[in-house]
Amino acid sequence: MSPQQTELLQGTLDLLILKALALTPLHGLGVARRIEQVTRGTFRVKPGSLFPALHRMEEEGWLSSYWGESANNRRAKYYELTRAGRRHLGTETQRWGRISLAIGRALEAGS
Amino acid sequence: MTSRLRSLIRNLFTRENVDRDLDAEVRSYAALLEEENLSAGMKPEAAKRAARIELGGHEQVKEEVRAGRAGAWLETVWQDVRYGARILRKNPGFTAIAVMTLALGIGANTAIFSVVEAVLIRPLPYRESSQLIVINETTPKVGTVSVSYPNFIDWRSMSHAFSQMSAVHSVGFNLAGVSQPESIMGDAVSPNFLSMLGMRPFLGRDFDSSEDKPGTAPVVLLSHSLWKTHLGGDPQVVGKLVTLDGRSFTIVRVLPPDFRALDKTDVLVPLGLSINADSYANDRGDRGDMVVIGRLAPGATLATARVEMEGIALQLARQYPASNDQCGVALEPIRAAFVGDLQPAILVLAGAVMFVLLISCANVANLFLARGAGRTREIALRLAFGAGRRRLIRQLLTESLLLALFGGALGLALAVGGIQGITRLIPDGMLMGATVNLNGFVLLFVAGLVVLTVLVFGLAPAWHLTNPDVQSELKDGARTVTAGRAQNRLRGVLAVAEISLALVLLVGAGLMVKSLYRLMQVDPGFRPDRVLTMELELRAQRYSQKPARISFWQRIRERVAALPGVESAALGTAIPLTGNHSRTDISMEGMPPLKPGSYPHPDMHTISPGYIETLGVSLLRGRAFTEADTGTTPRVALVNDMLAKRFFPNEDPIGKRFMFGHPSSQGTPSWLTIVGVVGDTKLYGLANPSRLEVYVSYLQRPTDEMQLLVRSGGDTAALISAIRGVVASIDKDQPIEGISTMNEIVTNSISTRRVTLILLAFFSGLAVILAGIGIFGVIAYNVAQRTHEIGIRMALGAQRKHVLAMILGQGGRIALIGILIGLAAAFALTRLLESLLFSVSAFDPITFAGVASVLAIVALAASYIPARRAMRVDTMVALRHE
Repeated sequence: MSPQQTELLQGTLDLLILKALALTPLHGLGVARRIEQVTRGTFRVKPGSLFPALHRMEEEGWLSSYWGESANNRRAKYYELTRAGRRHLGTETQRWGRISLAIGRALEAGS
Repeated sequence: MTSRLRSLIRNLFTRENVDRDLDAEVRSYAALLEEENLSAGMKPEAAKRAARIELGGHEQVKEEVRAGRAGAWLETVWQDVRYGARILRKNPGFTAIAVMTLALGIGANTAIFSVVEAVLIRPLPYRESSQLIVINETTPKVGTVSVSYPNFIDWRSMSHAFSQMSAVHSVGFNLAGVSQPESIMGDAVSPNFLSMLGMRPFLGRDFDSSEDKPGTAPVVLLSHSLWKTHLGGDPQVVGKLVTLDGRSFTIVRVLPPDFRALDKTDVLVPLGLSINADSYANDRGDRGDMVVIGRLAPGATLATARVEMEGIALQLARQYPASNDQCGVALEPIRAAFVGDLQPAILVLAGAVMFVLLISCANVANLFLARGAGRTREIALRLAFGAGRRRLIRQLLTESLLLALFGGALGLALAVGGIQGITRLIPDGMLMGATVNLNGFVLLFVAGLVVLTVLVFGLAPAWHLTNPDVQSELKDGARTVTAGRAQNRLRGVLAVAEISLALVLLVGAGLMVKSLYRLMQVDPGFRPDRVLTMELELRAQRYSQKPARISFWQRIRERVAALPGVESAALGTAIPLTGNHSRTDISMEGMPPLKPGSYPHPDMHTISPGYIETLGVSLLRGRAFTEADTGTTPRVALVNDMLAKRFFPNEDPIGKRFMFGHPSSQGTPSWLTIVGVVGDTKLYGLANPSRLEVYVSYLQRPTDEMQLLVRSGGDTAALISAIRGVVASIDKDQPIEGISTMNEIVTNSISTRRVTLILLAFFSGLAVILAGIGIFGVIAYNVAQRTHEIGIRMALGAQRKHVLAMILGQGGRIALIGILIGLAAAFALTRLLESLLFSVSAFDPITFAGVASVLAIVALAASYIPARRAMRVDTMVALRHE
């Protein structure tokens, strides 16, 4: 189906979900589709990993949820970032930047 | 963090809401997906299917979420517990037997451990009690003896290893002013006694440092219990007066309730009072009733203190050879003094109950395996569906834990009854004032036992049942003739272990039975039947003169002898097996002078006429004392057979003379003429050898403390009250103490062994029954498993007796291996019993052989029942069964 299935790094999924929710609250499928869209199909998040992550992050206090209506008037559970979630997105973004920079340098040096 | 906690609480307490919410969420996700597919142009059926495929399983998704939730592990534990409880409820027979078996093991351990805790573990109520050392003197002839006061004074000034030393001198008082005259026990102690022990004050003050001098004012400290029972717990009691031996004592303090001394102690008085009353203060050779307790100085150890004290003893022996020649010192920690000779018995019993528990565990493990075989399909199914082995083991262990918890709770209830039984079995004073009860420490021990049992009986079957090899084997086994070879092997091993453990216990009990039997065969040298004894101590001032004493004793003896039903009555000191001893050096007439420590040192009895007959000691030669031997006639003595043979091997001892003490240059020696020879008695216990004995008449050597002995044919209770009446008619303030029959005294003298034997016999009986059930279980299960095979064998012409022999042979093999291992283990372990045995070797071949045959019979009987069932297998039924 998808051109390639990339294994999600530990912690990466959290960051992607936080980023997906940064602009607007979304329901579960919305989060999956947003991630697919912004990574241009590199990451396809299956419900088996999406739901545990959403629930875990909600328990951590980064997300909050409410039941709402979808575009087609269907009941769906929406997630949005909390203040703590926004803070976490900030620190995680910085950390990710440092890591990808470091990895990039390391790979260049090796070649 | 707080948000995790909130979630945890929400997950645990509103679990249903949380689950319903999750379910709705997953459903809505699927619906949204389907809608998306539809709008992408799929047909409705295809859209639904594609959505379902992408979702990847409704329940799995939910399960993944649950596993990631806060408190997920708690939830699985709870799940396991509920599942386990359901399984246990479904098999009430299995559950009842397993719980009962464990309860027996845990209950026995808890009861015995309570004794261990009370006697060996519970801290003594003193500050740094490990630094407190009890010091006695030793002589080569007797062993450990009491300390003489002058030696104590010298020890205290010469020793550096002890920061403090205190003398403790047993004293008794007649307490007046209560309904019945009463005798109480106490200690006369150095003023520093309580501060050295580190006892906290309860009421009032400690002794004054000047109160160890003779002539000190009569002051007294009361024990908490005496204060409660006799003074009504009056908080204003300090400063009040109490009358002891007709003298007024000022109460200066009440001891705390947890105070414990080496003997029963109702009062403490300063040593100065006791020195005033007795003459022992200046007699270095008088080793009466005094023990010394010392506190080690900082840096000193028991070993360095011992070296130093032995040096001091040597020095004193050189300095004062007349009294101290060959005298040494014995030091032991105060704990050892409290424990006495109980330790080996208690440890043996603790080991025995541990064996019982192991057997219980083996039995339950066997039950588990037998039932586990029935659950093979369930376990196989769960393994096939991808349940982790660890997860399954955890599930099975949870079940075991539930069983163990129920077993522990029931065991605790049994232990409460057991402790009551044990304390009733143990004679007063045997535990040295320790109270046996279930306290926090014991409960902790029970919790530990529960965990231990789970590991012992739960782990092996759980490991085994989830073993993939066994799984495949058992899966086949359901359709083949013989099943579960590995499992049967494990069950056999467990049964073998049970037999071995039971055999070790039974050997121990057997050796104890034989010892006790031999001990009861020992001739004590007197006839204890129908003899009643009680103690009278004349402490009042009016008995300070000898004629008053003699007259009191004479009247008592005459009037008691005249009571109806009384055959004879007599008085005597240091009667056998009571622990009261009086020993003294003697010199034979014409014997060359000896080194001071080498004189004969017999036990001395002061007796009235009629004593030899009343106690039933045999008169071998000459005559006993009569009323005609008085203070004005020549002094006479009786000696025992051992003394007569030792000193007059080829002569007639009658008419020979000896004196007390050592010959001295000044003064004419005061000779006693031997008029009779009597049989040896067992003064120091039935298991101990007799010693040299001499008897003198109280008419010639009046004493203030004697045992009244009454031989009668009548009712003991009526006799006691009649004797009380006689004593009261002579002196209404004179108390009577220590009333018991000579038979009770004999029984009490072997009580440690008797109690150990009763408990050991009970535990080994339990062990044999459990082991029998264990073998029965293994064989019965095996027969049930092999019904089909047996049917085939019989269809092919096997005789019933062959089948019987085959099954019995299986039980016999288990029994034989178990017995061999058990014999080897018993051989290694019975030496621990040695100090409790009497004239039986720890390797007594008859006991070993007897016990082995008992167990063999039990094992064969236990196999016979299932074997008979096997014999009666109906070929057709067995074959049709498949």
